[in-house]
Amino acid sequence: MSFGRRRLFGSRQQTAELLIPAVLGGLLVVYFLLPFAFFLWRTGSVPIVETLAQPAAQTAIRNSLLTAPVSTLIATVCGVPLAYVLARRSFRGKRLVEALVVLPLIIPPVVGGAMILTAVGRFTPIGAVATQLGIPLTDSLIGVILAQTFVAAPFVVITARAGFGAIDERLEQASRSLGYGPLGTFWNVSLPLARGAILAGVVLTFARAIGEFGATMMVAYNPRTMPTRIWVDFISGGIDAIVPLALALLSITLVVVAAIQRLGRVPTVIDR
Amino acid sequence: MTLDVSGLTHQYGSKLAIDDVSFSVGDGELVALLGPSGCGKTTIVQAIAGHITPTAGTVSLRGQAVTAQPPEARGVGVVFQEPTLYPHLTVAENVAYGLKAQGMGATEREQRVESVLALVDLSASHDAMPTELSGGQRRRVELARALAPKPDILLLDEPLSALDRALRRQLQAEIRRIQAETGVTTLVVTHDQQEAMSLADRLVVIQEGQVAAVGEPRELYHSPPNRFVGSFLGRANTLEATGVDRTQSVIRVGGTAIEQPDLPETDQPVVQIRPESVTVGSADDSSADEITFSGQVVKVSDVGTQYDIEIELPTGERLVGTAQRSPPGVDETVSVGIDRRDLVVFDE
Repeated sequence: MSFGRRRLFGSRQQTAELLIPAVLGGLLVVYFLLPFAFFLWRTGSVPIVETLAQPAAQTAIRNSLLTAPVSTLIATVCGVPLAYVLARRSFRGKRLVEALVVLPLIIPPVVGGAMILTAVGRFTPIGAVATQLGIPLTDSLIGVILAQTFVAAPFVVITARAGFGAIDERLEQASRSLGYGPLGTFWNVSLPLARGAILAGVVLTFARAIGEFGATMMVAYNPRTMPTRIWVDFISGGIDAIVPLALALLSITLVVVAAIQRLGRVPTVIDR
Repeated sequence: MTLDVSGLTHQYGSKLAIDDVSFSVGDGELVALLGPSGCGKTTIVQAIAGHITPTAGTVSLRGQAVTAQPPEARGVGVVFQEPTLYPHLTVAENVAYGLKAQGMGATEREQRVESVLALVDLSASHDAMPTELSGGQRRRVELARALAPKPDILLLDEPLSALDRALRRQLQAEIRRIQAETGVTTLVVTHDQQEAMSLADRLVVIQEGQVAAVGEPRELYHSPPNRFVGSFLGRANTLEATGVDRTQSVIRVGGTAIEQPDLPETDQPVVQIRPESVTVGSADDSSADEITFSGQVVKVSDVGTQYDIEIELPTGERLVGTAQRSPPGVDETVSVGIDRRDLVVFDE
């Protein structure tokens, strides 16, 4: 009996302990859910498939699918080594580099886009040379990639850096003493062990890149990607007009994120 | 000489970690680098392995200076204090890791892995993941991984510190056996004097970043070159000599005059005597080398295997001696016997 009573008391006490976090957290979850649910509510009254079949929507989907993976790839190929250096070395100006990495997260994407324009816009030296060579850096898919990379790359750098930082440096020292140089050690030890963190960063970067609007609008309003198309449709047709593309964007992102997580699932020790 | 360390000095920022450290390790020798925690032992090992670049000094392996070479070019096997097995690889893959770097073929590699795992008695764990092993087994896999590429020298940095006492004893014996079987030149770092003395052919004792003594364990234990080494290698009573009579070659210790043919340079020398060399009770006057004190028992502690008896001498100094059975009572006046040859005299 006494055991039962204590159990009861214990569970009541636990409920009381969890009350405050449950209420506060619940508020936030409800706030995430409400707009999402009401937005999806409208799908019933909108012809989704027909709208997505239109050439304008098709082009936007194609452009987004062309650019976001490339931006993610660039961010990963350059960002992961940067993350490693930041996690392992101290050097003069490291603070500055770290600040620069975080900068795109702090400034509004529209301002980021404006900054990109001042650097590589059509009438800047770099932009002019590129245009002459037939590779325009603005109002082109390359422009879209530049904007997406600028805004999204910090995610993979910051996440991968945390991943590398969590690896005991002695594991790398052991590899060096076993005959591998810095590159071999990075490839055989650091990379596999930080894989989970890197993939999390890749997922975040991809999601951010494919949904990028502010900077893309400034640098390459044309050709349209899904987010810029959504904006144009909203101006001309209101909320109902954007439901199909928004749903498509959401689905693509979900599928890619799930695929990366599934394919790249770190074979943890417990799994094996 | 397999390893020669000469004038090794290293600073972390403005803090001097090791200062002008020199010693060498001969072919097939097992040497222990012994010192208290934070004395710079790990810094020395890291400099030998090439994981840090020393501020000054040279490291030579097989007669060649390697101070400027990266770790992968040195042929030094390392086992760290913390576990460094790769969690994403099996036991066999961990052991084969260094062999792959040498470009060894798959068949030969597998043979070497088999033989090294047999050496550490872990053939059955070939395909296990490191997390499935016990702490002692993991240590042995690390040993196997370090030995597999046949390094010129094996560095063991506090390899057993994280293990419990029984396992530590067992693995000490294993390390001795493996070292004898492979004949690999080994430098083992430890802060545990018992471990160092039972493992090593020779000790290098480090105190605050400097070499305090080099020598065989027994020799350093019984005739330490300085007070630090004497008290670090085992329990020791330290008494101040009150008077030096140079005409008669006599020093006064604890109220008793002791003949000392080798008089120290200073007028205030210090003597050390180990508790197990202090006989309490029946003094054996028959031996010419026996010195007898008289004193009062202050404290008797039963430490399980023996009794520790603390005695106050006429000078007020205290001395710890031991008795196997029937210890005297507190406040009893007893005679204390010391063999002259067990007394070590230091200048300061």
